[in-house]
Amino acid sequence: MNIVGIAACTAGIAHTYIAKEKLVTAAQKAGHQIHVETQGTIGTEDTIPAEALRDADVAVIVADVKVSGRERFKELKVIEVPTELVIKSPNKFIEKVEEIVKKG
Amino acid sequence: MVQEKHNGKVFNNLKQHALTAISYLIPVVVSGGFMLALGSLLGGSTIASIKDPYNFFDVMYTMGGLVLGMLPVVIGTGIAFSIADKPGIAPGFLVGMISINMNAGFIGGFIGGYIAGYLTKFLKDKLKVPAWAEGLKPMLIIPFISSLAIGLIMYFILGIPIATLTDALNNFLRGLDTSQKLMFGLIVGVLSAVDYGGPINKVVFAFLLSLQSDGINEPMAVLMLASMVTPFGMTMAYFFQKVFHKNIYTRMEVETLKTAFPMGVCMITEGCYPIIFNDLWRCILSTGIGAGVGGALSMIWNVGSPVPHGGLFAMITMTNPIQWFVALMIGSLVVAVILFILKKPVDIDEVKEIQAKDEKDVDFSELKIS
Repeated sequence: MNIVGIAACTAGIAHTYIAKEKLVTAAQKAGHQIHVETQGTIGTEDTIPAEALRDADVAVIVADVKVSGRERFKELKVIEVPTELVIKSPNKFIEKVEEIVKKG
Repeated sequence: MVQEKHNGKVFNNLKQHALTAISYLIPVVVSGGFMLALGSLLGGSTIASIKDPYNFFDVMYTMGGLVLGMLPVVIGTGIAFSIADKPGIAPGFLVGMISINMNAGFIGGFIGGYIAGYLTKFLKDKLKVPAWAEGLKPMLIIPFISSLAIGLIMYFILGIPIATLTDALNNFLRGLDTSQKLMFGLIVGVLSAVDYGGPINKVVFAFLLSLQSDGINEPMAVLMLASMVTPFGMTMAYFFQKVFHKNIYTRMEVETLKTAFPMGVCMITEGCYPIIFNDLWRCILSTGIGAGVGGALSMIWNVGSPVPHGGLFAMITMTNPIQWFVALMIGSLVVAVILFILKKPVDIDEVKEIQAKDEKDVDFSELKIS
């Protein structure tokens, strides 16, 4: 499965990056391709490339705050979740994502 | 059940708007706070008229004051923008200006920002105009109507009660006696620390910012301390393990500490996450008690911090910085001792990789799918 995502938190210096790391590790462990863009206080980094977006099966928004650029996902199923949940249960979250995508 | 779920969603949305605004606010407050504090430390004062001579420190002090005076505008604009996107900016800005004008302060900007945002969103979604006026809708009609409406609401309905409330709250907090201060510091300390920079911490942070914008700086010093006792305490506990020959950390966790401690110096708790999630309840318990003790001490010693972030680097700006440092050390020591006693001894080479089965279940109601 190809996943694209955005991570963003309130202070934009810690949770954003921890959530990204956990999500990427968990997704890769489950055998998925994933690209996560971070929207921290420093601004947007690791912008989702056009190819990843084109091939994506699902989009995840891991954020406590409003994120920019959601319109890129308008063709996709979008799953939104607070950063805390992904930090605590990344593997379970990926399982849920699989379940949701399978259901269509 | 459906209703309950719905309420949860509404609350989550409200929270998300506040957090978005706070995320815009933090850099503004930190830069303004530092300028104000450094300027005042070095003898700066407000530049009343540019015709009089002024020096470098006067400029810093004045800039800081200008920035901090604008907090209601930043919070109002941020919330309204989060709710209504671009069209929210005009009424959100106005609501903040009105709050300053009416002395309704941060709380005025906060509440007004929500009303301005939802009002604008309502107009944006529901207002139907003839085809020839489509272009005028975002340019003129929505900003004009929403700004006018929120302005009238503030001046004639909400502004004065909020100003009275703000005033009463500030007077109450200024008049606390020692035992009340102790309780207040304890509560703020515990609440700021228990979820390690999560939502509870951020709500407390927003409230303390509102106090800070009215010149009540003591509670913010408590929050800063509470955010730092965890990395400091956990590092102290590491040295206990050397002295008392009881291993409480695995090798991986010791590695974690090496980055968690410097992050802690900068007031970032999150570096400790790997350790915390390996042993959640023992960590929360020790952090909570340590932060409570440190917070209570900081309050009764009248420590104040004019900046809301920066960790040890913010110390130069504080009133009674030495007392703050001592309170921080005592709080951290409490965390260390409790953690050291509670934690079970572990094998240093034990590899603890979190497996899916150890994780908390993910509930579908926590996800928003579209």
